[in-house]
Amino acid sequence: MMRQRSWKRRLRSTLTGYLFLLPTLLVLGTFLFLPVFYSTYLSFHKVNLLGEVSYKFVRWANFERMSGDERAWIALKNTFSFVVFVVPIQTALALLLASILNAKLRLRNLFRIVFFLPTVTSSAVLTLIFIWIYNANGLLNRLLETVGLKGYNWLGDPGVALKGIMLMNIWSTAPFFMVVFLAALQDIPESLYESARLDGAGRWKQFTAITLPLIKPATFFTVVMGIIGTFQLFDQSYIFSAGSGGPNNSTLTVALLIYQYAFKNMDMGYASALAVILAAVILFMTLLQRQLFREEKLG
Amino acid sequence: MRKTLSVMLALAVILVMVLTGCSKKSESGASSSPSASSAAPGASASASSSASEEPSRDPVTVSLAGWGSSPEEQELLNQTLDEFRAKYPWITVNYEVIADQYMDVIKTRLIGGEGPDVFYLDAFEAPALIDKGVLEPLDGYVTPEFDVADFEEPLLNAFKANGVTYGFPKDFSTLAMFYNKKDFEEAGIANPPATWDELKEAAKKLTKKEGGKVTRYGFGVAPELARQMYMIQAFGGKVSDEQGNATFASEEGLKGLQLVVDMKNVDGSSGEPKELGAGWGGEMFGQGKASIVFEGNWAIPFIQGNFKDLDFGTAELPAVNGKKGTMAFTVAYVMNKDSKHKEAAWTLLSYLTGKEGMKTWTSKGFALPTRKSVAQELGYDKDPLRAALVAGAAYATPWQAGATLPTITNNFNNQFLDAFLGKQKLADAMKKAQDTANKEIAAGQ
Repeated sequence: MMRQRSWKRRLRSTLTGYLFLLPTLLVLGTFLFLPVFYSTYLSFHKVNLLGEVSYKFVRWANFERMSGDERAWIALKNTFSFVVFVVPIQTALALLLASILNAKLRLRNLFRIVFFLPTVTSSAVLTLIFIWIYNANGLLNRLLETVGLKGYNWLGDPGVALKGIMLMNIWSTAPFFMVVFLAALQDIPESLYESARLDGAGRWKQFTAITLPLIKPATFFTVVMGIIGTFQLFDQSYIFSAGSGGPNNSTLTVALLIYQYAFKNMDMGYASALAVILAAVILFMTLLQRQLFREEKLG
Repeated sequence: MRKTLSVMLALAVILVMVLTGCSKKSESGASSSPSASSAAPGASASASSSASEEPSRDPVTVSLAGWGSSPEEQELLNQTLDEFRAKYPWITVNYEVIADQYMDVIKTRLIGGEGPDVFYLDAFEAPALIDKGVLEPLDGYVTPEFDVADFEEPLLNAFKANGVTYGFPKDFSTLAMFYNKKDFEEAGIANPPATWDELKEAAKKLTKKEGGKVTRYGFGVAPELARQMYMIQAFGGKVSDEQGNATFASEEGLKGLQLVVDMKNVDGSSGEPKELGAGWGGEMFGQGKASIVFEGNWAIPFIQGNFKDLDFGTAELPAVNGKKGTMAFTVAYVMNKDSKHKEAAWTLLSYLTGKEGMKTWTSKGFALPTRKSVAQELGYDKDPLRAALVAGAAYATPWQAGATLPTITNNFNNQFLDAFLGKQKLADAMKKAQDTANKEIAAGQ
């Protein structure tokens, strides 16, 4: 008799738990898992949604088309160069800012607010402001001229446009990771630094021997989130190039390419295939990093 | 006490978030909801000579969508809609402005079944949309009073496929040469250039430099296919062939384009707006950063409104290879095939493209009328600024070339800019653009 009741009670509490989870499960299911599965399904079809709706199963045709698509390779190259450039600088800058804030400076709270400001501003607004700064008659060129350098056509020159977006991105996302690093830095007990100083270690040695190893989880988080975020870059390149990916495909990222194929050309099948490949690449990169960081930890 | 305070603060924040989330009722470009709908109940009293046989006069709502433009143009369209409402009081028009990425939004709405009943369609996008079969053929609705023959034929044909009409052009514009009269006087140029060689000479004289940096280009260029198409055709080249494949990199096509590129890289007398910090040709011209630009009708109210002191004139584009040429851009009203109120939608469409509606819409000179009768009535061919634009309609190339033109345009624009800025040789850039475009076209079949 007792056993029955406790079994029923456990069932009830489990059900109650799931009932609490239900709204989240529904939302996640509809807006996260369902689109992922549907997208993967679509990537194997040739889809026509405008006019006569048709789904034709074409197996690997969409993926084969990718290998011959020049713009897809350009987009991949742009995205890769974006990642390789932005993530290390972003991480280093975040760590630098966090170290500044961690040192017991006088105006620490003011610095905190100023440093964090870029992150709370919407990226769309930031991009629009930067477009004005990068304008041929804008702030950046004026600054360069006062220093004696020549102004440049930042927005119109294909070679430079992507670098402009990179700078903008670094500036706006570094503060977010700075907060992560700051939390990690503040966790390190002061006694470690004291004993290191007693042993005669200089500031730099303290940094490399104590700080860096102990904030490894934060570094891992920053690098992984940074890579995932930069691979998915869309809104800034969209606003910068007004949706075209120009000048001359220089600001074309994979996410923007997917958008163009899906909503300009209405080619859902191919766009889904591109999205699947992008997800696979990001997944691979993340797993790779997990391996790297885990080995270092054990070693 | 502390705890209740923080709880109150949290609740206040949540309340604010909920309120901001709920206040999104006014969408971009709220519709001018008619106040007259309440005034004429029944409406049988108003003697309305409607063109189509309207069996029912039940109140019906028709949705109209267009892209945004200047506030003055919005006013003018609202005025036209008010006049429509006065004539047909039982039809309520929900006018919506789609602020950005017009075609993307329209296509998405059409897929979702939420497409507007009547909407703008640019000639450039028309072939692709007609191909998809989402537009209602309009020949069956036309009555003799509508007077189809009154339309300029090349503009009407832009919206026909296989002899079936899918839209009626509401207005058009061509490209004309805008020149700064004061700059011309300074440089001692008496008349606007009539041939491309004269343009080259004039541009060289008009380019101003200050300390090694160009402050004003003689000629401001828009390095995009929409503006350069007639240059490709000047020596016999074609943008695309019957199958829709790109053919602009032919020898004849390159000859015309080389003229444009050389003016920038060899003479140094032309540049694109972004180089001097302007957004487009009209802005470049108004800000005094270019003495000559090729722009359309839309530039006239822009310059007059924003740069009132600018003394400028217009002339027909200089002849290239002995031939006059220019581009014509036209937009039509089309009807959604899935519209639930086709009769009422036709009433609206036929009014807006009919003689009355078009007269009101084109009366302020923002765009030129596509009906010969309206054009004569409004006298634009005698208007000193617009005469050149009207004259161009006779020999203009309509900006349209089949359903593959958007893909071709994208690739052309990408590579042409490179060649224009001197980073690639024109022949190489154009060959690359043509090959990529054709690959994309083949892959998308």
